[in-house]
Amino acid sequence: MQLKRRKAGRVGRAISAVSATLLIATAASCENSAVAQDFYGLDKAGRDNFGPGIAYTEFDGALLIYQEAGGRVQAIEPTANLAIHGARGQQLTLGAVADAVSGATPNGAVPSDRTQTFVTPLKPQGSSTTVTSASGGSTVIQLPPTPGQLASAALGRQYTTAPNTLPMDKGFRDHRAALTAGWSQPLGWVSEIGGGAGFSREEDYQSITANVRAAKNFNSDNTTISLDLNGEFDSSFPFGGVPTGLTAMNAQFKPVTTRHKTQLGFVLGLTEVMTRNWLMALNYSYDSQKGYQTDPYRVISVVDPTSGEPTSTLYENRPEQRKSQSLFWDNKVAFGPTVTELSYRYFTDNWGISSHTVEASERINLAKAWYIEPNVRFYHQNAANFYRAFLVSNVAFPAYASSDTRLSRFDAITYGAKIGFRVSGRSELYVRADYYTQSGDGHPANAIGQLRNQDLFAGTKAAIVQVGYQWKFH
Amino acid sequence: MKIRLRVINGALAALVAAAACASCTASGPRPWERDLMARPEMQLVPYPLQTAADEHVYFSKEASSGGRGFAGGGCGCN
Amino acid sequence: MEIPLAATLSRAGQDYLGTFKAMATPCEVRVETDDAGLGRRVADAVEAEARRIEAKFSRYRDDSIIGQINSAGGRKTVVDAETAHLLDFAGQCFDLSGGMFDITSGVLRRAWRFDGSDRVPGASDIKPLQKLVGWKKLSWRAPSLTLPAGMEIDLGGLAKEYAVDRALAAARAITAAPVLVNFGGDLAVSGPRTSGTPWHVAIASVDKDDAMAGMLELVGGALATSGDARRFLLKDGVRYSHILNPRTGWPVKDAPRSVTVAAPSCVEAGMVATLAMLQGKRAELFLKREGARAWCIR
Repeated sequence: MQLKRRKAGRVGRAISAVSATLLIATAASCENSAVAQDFYGLDKAGRDNFGPGIAYTEFDGALLIYQEAGGRVQAIEPTANLAIHGARGQQLTLGAVADAVSGATPNGAVPSDRTQTFVTPLKPQGSSTTVTSASGGSTVIQLPPTPGQLASAALGRQYTTAPNTLPMDKGFRDHRAALTAGWSQPLGWVSEIGGGAGFSREEDYQSITANVRAAKNFNSDNTTISLDLNGEFDSSFPFGGVPTGLTAMNAQFKPVTTRHKTQLGFVLGLTEVMTRNWLMALNYSYDSQKGYQTDPYRVISVVDPTSGEPTSTLYENRPEQRKSQSLFWDNKVAFGPTVTELSYRYFTDNWGISSHTVEASERINLAKAWYIEPNVRFYHQNAANFYRAFLVSNVAFPAYASSDTRLSRFDAITYGAKIGFRVSGRSELYVRADYYTQSGDGHPANAIGQLRNQDLFAGTKAAIVQVGYQWKFH
Repeated sequence: MKIRLRVINGALAALVAAAACASCTASGPRPWERDLMARPEMQLVPYPLQTAADEHVYFSKEASSGGRGFAGGGCGCN
Repeated sequence: MEIPLAATLSRAGQDYLGTFKAMATPCEVRVETDDAGLGRRVADAVEAEARRIEAKFSRYRDDSIIGQINSAGGRKTVVDAETAHLLDFAGQCFDLSGGMFDITSGVLRRAWRFDGSDRVPGASDIKPLQKLVGWKKLSWRAPSLTLPAGMEIDLGGLAKEYAVDRALAAARAITAAPVLVNFGGDLAVSGPRTSGTPWHVAIASVDKDDAMAGMLELVGGALATSGDARRFLLKDGVRYSHILNPRTGWPVKDAPRSVTVAAPSCVEAGMVATLAMLQGKRAELFLKREGARAWCIR
């Protein structure tokens, strides 16, 4: 006798789905995941070993290698994260980051058809004062004596830039270490309440961050609303002291050694499971930063109004107040063995900057335990209202000016791919590589004299490679 | 600046309205239709170290930051 | 907890057959092999899993998780992952059956004793028990379950089918040979027999003479049967099946005497069969609308 098969109705499909979920979940928690998944043939992710109500720990480790083209910045950044999940929804997170950055970075001056010389403070007695070309092509020079100054302080570091090349400071080196910790748990009717703190320290900068967060689920957990309040207190103690903005670049030690910046902001988030396949998130953020936001090492060239030759070099100056907002919209859609992600962010602030970011990625689960995930990102920003590629000597200086390309108008595109391998039901290894390139107008209409023959855009092209490992255990 | 703030305020109103609607119409999949959402790759940030690395790179090389979480890098790289 | 294994192993045609009694039902496992050692290992694995689930979820044992939950007197019980998943499943089935499948309805058996007699309870017997029935009255948020005092949960409607699926998985972890696990009529197979031939399963008649009502050929998946062959009341010519409607406290009217469903897993087949029985006279219509592969006997 044959029992006829007909198309399943709504309740029939629902029973089928919850039965499969039950059997895979219990099989996983009884260590039979491979058998269960083959048998039920539905979900190869082996996920429910680590779901709500089950205590487990997750360790993530990764190594990032960043290399810019043209001998510019390179960085190595190992990171690690430990997340301990309790059976009752509590979570403790600990993170550590270290990075070592070196290489050459544009100092903000314009290229010239003549050799240019720049001077900066030199590390004091006790550290190495013999300078070889390995130290970035700088030389130690004797500064003209200033009344009341120690003789040893009358040394400076000088470097030159060849004609028609972008001025770069090659002696750039920094080490940073940071720690973060966070806690979250359900409390009463609040689905999640938590907070965290972070501390980051590098040779010339320190940052202390703190945040508190609350979230509530509605609608059978299909909707989550969250509010995150965050604050940051930063201290900048650049080598050589904090220069006064728009004064001449020099090798003296400046009297002000430290400047601070405080930041307060919030993120209002909405996460919604739209359909069985589609998850959506919408975040609105607001930030207010007060205090020192200038790059103490960056300069801006003052050029002759006719020839365009640089006549002097001044330290840049940025406003001490910055208010910004952003709206971020993220979508993840699961189709069979793939997950598609598409996101858009709009950012705007009172420095006149606004930007659009679009990111897309497609994760494709392949047979066995592999997946590949190509991705692309498009970015466009317009310039800050105080961005100037250069200043002109016969025009009154504005209150704020910076030639930092990062504040200019440019487009950027990133493309890359990631490959992952599920080593076991509990751990995963991944490698990804991306190529990031910025493009902007190197020949603006206001270029004068020799500047018309120079490329005034100092944007980056960089390769980003990261290897990571995720491991879950009970 | 006022104009830009107004645009964002409209978006904020839409977010609040969407949230209000979401909770009163009780929409969305039923609990047994949430099987796909349980897949680890469907979390919003399944690889936190990868996301953190990208945000660090873009914070150092661009003028905007944040979106997913709070803005600012906690480092002096901008 | 030591589980004494007592399955009897015998040769039956091409198979080794292991039989034992668990969950108040005759249980058997068949594995198509010539290797007696394999037959013994499979029988032991299946029996171990059946006894484990029986011990863990039996409402008759104080040391089972169900016993602990039911005797908590209104206090919270923290349950393990397996129990949590079963409770989630029970809750989801409560939702999708519109409240007809309710694991808190077991207390109604204090009024209803289905012994084939004509002792049908009255409204005054049932009303106080109804206050203790209702999935929504308890508080379940993984991993804590809080039952108001006096309420009970009973996984009897799920446990046997769940045990069949878990026992089959245990057998498949040991061997790729064709296996059939059958706990009192709820059964599942690992796949077809060697060279693709199907398993032959007889559907028992609901009448006392125990003749076969039909024969099914099974090449995969599971079967579950919901029925009242032995548990019913008969009064004034009306047959009261033992399937109680949790909302009224009374048996479902005009339920079929037996529903057999075929589905990819025994848990799924059992739930479809139970929901069909709960539809009473609409059982066949329900099965047809939901596209279930099913066989009803009235």
